[in-house]
Amino acid sequence: MPPAGILVDGLVQSCIYMTMAFGMVLVFSILGILNWTHGQFYMLGAFVVYYAVTAAGIPFPISILISGGVIGGLGMLVGRYVIERVNVPGLGLLYVTAATVALNFFFEGGAGMAFGLEDKGLYNALPGVLDLGSFSVSYQKIAVVIFTLVIMVAMYVVLNFTKIGLAIRAAAQEPGAASLYGVSVGRLSIIVMGIGCALAGMAGAIMAPVYGVNPFIGGLPLIMALLAIIIGGIGSLTGAIVGGLILGLFSSIVPYYLGYISELALFLTVITLLIVRPQGLFGVPIRR
Amino acid sequence: MKFGNYRKLLPKIVVGLLIALIFILPVFTTSLVTLSKFVQIGFWAIAAMGFMLIMRTGQISLGQATFMGLGGYTSAVFMVKFGLPFWPGFFMAGIVAGLVALAVGVVAVRAGPIAFSIITLALAEIMRIIAVSWEPVTNGSKGLVITPPTHIMLGNFEINFATSAVPNYYFIVILVAITALIFWQIDRGRLGGIFRVIAVNPTLAEHQGIPLTKFKVLAFTVAAVFTGFAGSFYAHFLGVMSPDMYGLWQSIQALMMGIVGGISSLVAGPIVGAAVLNSLSDILSRLPVYSIKPTLFGAIVLLVLLFLPKGTGLIDLWRIFWSKVYKEKPITTDNTH
Repeated sequence: MPPAGILVDGLVQSCIYMTMAFGMVLVFSILGILNWTHGQFYMLGAFVVYYAVTAAGIPFPISILISGGVIGGLGMLVGRYVIERVNVPGLGLLYVTAATVALNFFFEGGAGMAFGLEDKGLYNALPGVLDLGSFSVSYQKIAVVIFTLVIMVAMYVVLNFTKIGLAIRAAAQEPGAASLYGVSVGRLSIIVMGIGCALAGMAGAIMAPVYGVNPFIGGLPLIMALLAIIIGGIGSLTGAIVGGLILGLFSSIVPYYLGYISELALFLTVITLLIVRPQGLFGVPIRR
Repeated sequence: MKFGNYRKLLPKIVVGLLIALIFILPVFTTSLVTLSKFVQIGFWAIAAMGFMLIMRTGQISLGQATFMGLGGYTSAVFMVKFGLPFWPGFFMAGIVAGLVALAVGVVAVRAGPIAFSIITLALAEIMRIIAVSWEPVTNGSKGLVITPPTHIMLGNFEINFATSAVPNYYFIVILVAITALIFWQIDRGRLGGIFRVIAVNPTLAEHQGIPLTKFKVLAFTVAAVFTGFAGSFYAHFLGVMSPDMYGLWQSIQALMMGIVGGISSLVAGPIVGAAVLNSLSDILSRLPVYSIKPTLFGAIVLLVLLFLPKGTGLIDLWRIFWSKVYKEKPITTDNTH
């Protein structure tokens, strides 16, 4: 059994991967594409909260919401002016993948040019640790877990008990029928894009005090969220959450035993899972 | 028409002259700096062609750097650890890259196009980790120091790769030419049609009795073989092979060159894209601005995707140019491929 600190770290990482994967799958369920720019929205969210706290002096919790709003707006713009324009019928997947991968590097390089490459710390946003006898947990990590729980409950409520949630579920299940009942699927997809990106932005914002901010922090959460989606099954929201939980714990517990080679173990596990079950844990058989 | 269809002939003459110029370029300059830029462009052109061949089947590979690195490492290990000359290692590079692609492709293709992108992305990362941590064979992050291809004797005439850049230049030109010919034949033949129908309408393809997995894996493997050849030669040209040479950015560069050149064109597009982006990259790396390269490359790809007609790229500007010059009906482009 690894030390409790490692389990806590794994849980914190799980939370981030869950939030990221959830946003990506939400977008996928409506638009049928994966947004490869998601990791950069995470990075930009961290930058927004960094400048909101240090330059504008806004309290940290409010900055997180601001970050969600800004990144959500940016995501809507990307959805409207990039993804919608290249998502042609038939080959939309290819064009959207190429466009969002390009956008990914555009944002990463742009952030490097605008904000500089060096690490920016926000380490005193939530100072203090919670002493639990044999080990202690910083308030920042507790905040990450609580934030994720709040987000998940909020998303559950929104998706299941509100009108827009009903519309999202309907459009995900049967876009044609949903539009017959007065749901504007085009507008809904922009809104969902905004929600998904806002989740990524807020995840980046809440993690800013834990790991620091630089233009390259978006890559790892993106890859991990993608692997979480693959594990859970592409298109399944439950799968995204379970996949994120598995990956976060896996990627902090296995290195404790295996060290550097653990990434290899991680990828091989995912590939083995795909051999056994190509559609992932919770996925429906693939529509090719 | 009296003099034959010169309007159609003239573009062909221009292209022919360009190709002839490429073949006689060493007459004008033999400087290592200039020719190594062309070697670089040729290497990237092959990588981008491989990417486009995979994209023909409706999948996006984000791990082409895997096969560049695999090719380089195979022949480097053969040379350094087994003491073999360049040529067996060169052919083994293609074979090993192809075998790995075959094994991975069978798994990745079955999981669907989105998972394919993610798995190829992860594959590149796996290869990097193996290259760093398998020290007895790959020498870890220190890398392997290798020599240029062994010299060839043609009668009394010696082709020595080590002393001059010219043989290296001709090597890559011939490699690009062979790759281009094979890919061109694939594209215009029955196989190209099969690839397109798989990409555009997989359901129809399946109902026509086309085994999807088989052809998708085939495209992936063929692309990997040629990328492996190119990677092997390029490693020997540079004289060093280390794990940091091929990462995510290199895979993405293959994507960007292919897309910028033109999605509808399998051979000419990647060559043009590689030439344009590589020259641009040379200029940008002299500027004292950090991370301007990914920003600008990303922006160029986005502009091409957003503002040129779907399915076209820079290579199609050339066609539109000729049709404008001769007041012909402009070539309409459909967005099927």
